[in-house]
Amino acid sequence: MKDRIVFENVSKFYDEILGVNHLNLSIPPGITSLVGPNGSGKTTLMNLMTGLVKPSRGQIYVLGCRTDDPENLFKMVGYSTQFDAFPKGLTGFQFLYSYLQLSGRDSHTAEQLAWRAIERVNLRNDAGRNIAGYSKGMRQRIRLAQALAHDPKVLVLDEPLNGLDPLARSESIALFRAAAELGCYVIISSHILHEVDVISDQVILLSNGYVVAEGQIQTVRSEIQEHPTQILIRCTRPRELAAKVIESELASEIAIHNDGRGLLLKTRNSDNFYLALNELALNGIEIESVTPADDDVFSVYEYLIGNEEVVR
Amino acid sequence: MAIYRRSYKPYTGALTATWSRWLVLFRYARRNLFRSKVQTVLFTICFFYPLLCLGGIYLAHNLSFLAQIGVSGNLISIDNRFFFRLLAVQGVLAFLLTAFIGPGLISPDLANGALPLYFCRPFSRAEYIVGKSSVLAITLSQITWIPGLVLFAIQAGFAGPRWAWDNLWIAGSLILGSLIWIAILSLLAMALSAWVKWRIVAGALLLAVMFFGAGFGQAINAVLRIESGYFFNLGYLMAAVWTDLFRIESEQSLSAGDAWIALLVYCVICLGLLVRKVRAYEVVR
Repeated sequence: MKDRIVFENVSKFYDEILGVNHLNLSIPPGITSLVGPNGSGKTTLMNLMTGLVKPSRGQIYVLGCRTDDPENLFKMVGYSTQFDAFPKGLTGFQFLYSYLQLSGRDSHTAEQLAWRAIERVNLRNDAGRNIAGYSKGMRQRIRLAQALAHDPKVLVLDEPLNGLDPLARSESIALFRAAAELGCYVIISSHILHEVDVISDQVILLSNGYVVAEGQIQTVRSEIQEHPTQILIRCTRPRELAAKVIESELASEIAIHNDGRGLLLKTRNSDNFYLALNELALNGIEIESVTPADDDVFSVYEYLIGNEEVVR
Repeated sequence: MAIYRRSYKPYTGALTATWSRWLVLFRYARRNLFRSKVQTVLFTICFFYPLLCLGGIYLAHNLSFLAQIGVSGNLISIDNRFFFRLLAVQGVLAFLLTAFIGPGLISPDLANGALPLYFCRPFSRAEYIVGKSSVLAITLSQITWIPGLVLFAIQAGFAGPRWAWDNLWIAGSLILGSLIWIAILSLLAMALSAWVKWRIVAGALLLAVMFFGAGFGQAINAVLRIESGYFFNLGYLMAAVWTDLFRIESEQSLSAGDAWIALLVYCVICLGLLVRKVRAYEVVR
């Protein structure tokens, strides 16, 4: 429990409105993405994790620390909310400096940490400007800076990539990776599924307040039995290969790729198919590549939460 | 699963004392306070009457000067009524100052949704309220009981230790009378601004509570021929407490005890409203 973020049968109700229900999670270090449609409970889960809302039922432990112990919890946790909200009248530096003081750092340490965080998010030249005059991307970055300024072991970031241009986005992702490589826990919620796919070590899929799936995305995909695995095969003679695959009865659907240089097929038993493909390839068909076509977050999202709003 | 080096090193330096963190809010809020010229001018005006009183005390003890201008020595009597008047004048100014600065303390944070930023630190709702209300408490103290005590000390210096000892209760009344007024003003201003969230409207609402409350109370008294309407009149309640504290005979319809209870109930209601609104997340149903 000391090295995980643990949810034990956690439910949160806002009176009659369900926030999340029966959550049992054990989140390891690395980058964990929370994925789900609007209102699925992502922000509630983050607020529960940071003690900002209390669970109606169940227990939450962040690296062994209870969430109703803010003095110890926030030594380890940095939170960046999704709201574009700041106290009035502060410059970027003052914002970080004052909040570090609220976190118990003396003025000298707070100043050092504030400048370091500002440099990490590449805002040094604008640190003296009033936050009210920042662009959306700069506000996102200063919010990220306040979350990581005190070197937390757990970074909880609600929609941290919203509003960032591609360069700032890749810089932020590099920051998350660097934190994860140090052994930190980076919890991210995002609607940008292809980015989730690229940066996450594991995902938690939420729908209507329930966890629909959790774990590495490939593992999750392999456990979805009702949807056959899609495989894209690039080869020299796709029609010939298609005929042989039909003969082997390992694929339920086969289509020649639009460019005529490959096959897109669906199989319910991908392990057996890969074994059989080796034998098929020995008969003179040159296979350039074999790639799963639907073991990404978007496909899993569509399969598991397909009837919900699909966001890409 | 990626393999991580796990070389994270947490901060191991000393932390400031938990109790002192609300002072960070106080410092920033106080600095913002004096960025407004109107508020600075109003704050300065609040010292005019104490300076006038200081002149009065000086004259009352400078018999030769009074004799030169042909005025008898007991023109200005420095007694409980003198300090009551001081508190009454400063109390009105404290109310005006509160109407200007009180709503600006909390409403911007609530309107901008900035509270989660405060509470995702080792910082509680109680500390937030203490930090914000301390700005009002200290600013209003500077114009009420602190100048009152300074004047009391100067008067004691002129009149001697015997006078000081005999009238020590006036100092106590000054402090207690000011503190209850500061408490009610601070809590009322913050509670209203927490619910309204719009600074200007919250300021107007504070004036409305004071003046319309008095009018409403009078209307109830007149229509129903009772005197319970005074419970809606904060100024009347406060005057009842002050006259009792300063041992001044008055024709107040409410007893001091009733006024005390009513004011404490107002404080509790305001605190309840405040605690209900000052949350990391507001649940909109």
